[in-house]
Amino acid sequence: MTRVTTRIARQPFVLDAAAVEAAATAVLPEPLVDHYVVVGGRRYPPKQVIALATGLDRADFTTHQARGVLRRLGFIAGRRGSDPPPTSATATAAGPHGGAEAEALRPFMGQWVAQKGIEVLVAADTPEEVLSWLERHDQYADIMFRVPREQWESEGWWPGWDVR
Amino acid sequence: MVARVGRPLRFPFRSLGEPMPTVLRPVLPVEVGGLHRAPYAGLVDTGSLHNRFGAFVARAAGIELADAPVEVIALDGFRTQARRASVELSIGEATWTAPVWFCDPWPLGFHLLGLKGFFDHFAVTIRAARYEIELTQEPAAGLS
Repeated sequence: MTRVTTRIARQPFVLDAAAVEAAATAVLPEPLVDHYVVVGGRRYPPKQVIALATGLDRADFTTHQARGVLRRLGFIAGRRGSDPPPTSATATAAGPHGGAEAEALRPFMGQWVAQKGIEVLVAADTPEEVLSWLERHDQYADIMFRVPREQWESEGWWPGWDVR
Repeated sequence: MVARVGRPLRFPFRSLGEPMPTVLRPVLPVEVGGLHRAPYAGLVDTGSLHNRFGAFVARAAGIELADAPVEVIALDGFRTQARRASVELSIGEATWTAPVWFCDPWPLGFHLLGLKGFFDHFAVTIRAARYEIELTQEPAAGLS
């Protein structure tokens, strides 16, 4: 298990990746501004993750510090909108976004998602949670739906249902 | 009632994240009862006679269903209880009032836009080769 000894806001911490992941995934990610880290298949603001893992006030450290610590712990860090656009060849073959849309949804199988463009703003177990998150963070989505886990969920036939 | 008749509206097909990742579908963002924050995914379904939505959509929009009679219907391979209400729907700039059958349980992750209440309010062009849907609101109220 990856473990990192570090100082944040002049305080010493020993953080391990599993504990950080457990702290972060207990809550929904807040809206992304620019930078993010991928924790448990979801994109979180780096400062939210470090605040959850350490109990520190977010005003006491920077996004740069948070990103650095989380990368050392093995989490993938990225920046919104930095993914390259699909080429015209892939767009023709796999639709308007060259397959990027399905790829963005892959971590959220079985969950309700609210999308803005192809970006997933929030994913949760129920549509009520998604709506509540959007209200709380004053966010507007383009569309909301549940990402199917199985093929039958998108085609309407559930083998467990008796229609007789 | 047709509240507005406007210019053609174009929407790209969307992935719903199916296990087959290259599948894109004619899905439209439908606002129900004036809730703008998160339009619901409505599948353009030429095989559906009516608009069918999950009952949780009605609850979120504050649409009262308690007095509506219950119909048990078989739909897309499952059985559900449906209650009808006349509600305001919006897609982009187009707004209209139409009957919707709110269903519980609703195992699908999207909703269905059908003949009465959707297709009778729009001229619908599906260009699957371009992954595009075009809607033009009809001037007449339609069948519903």
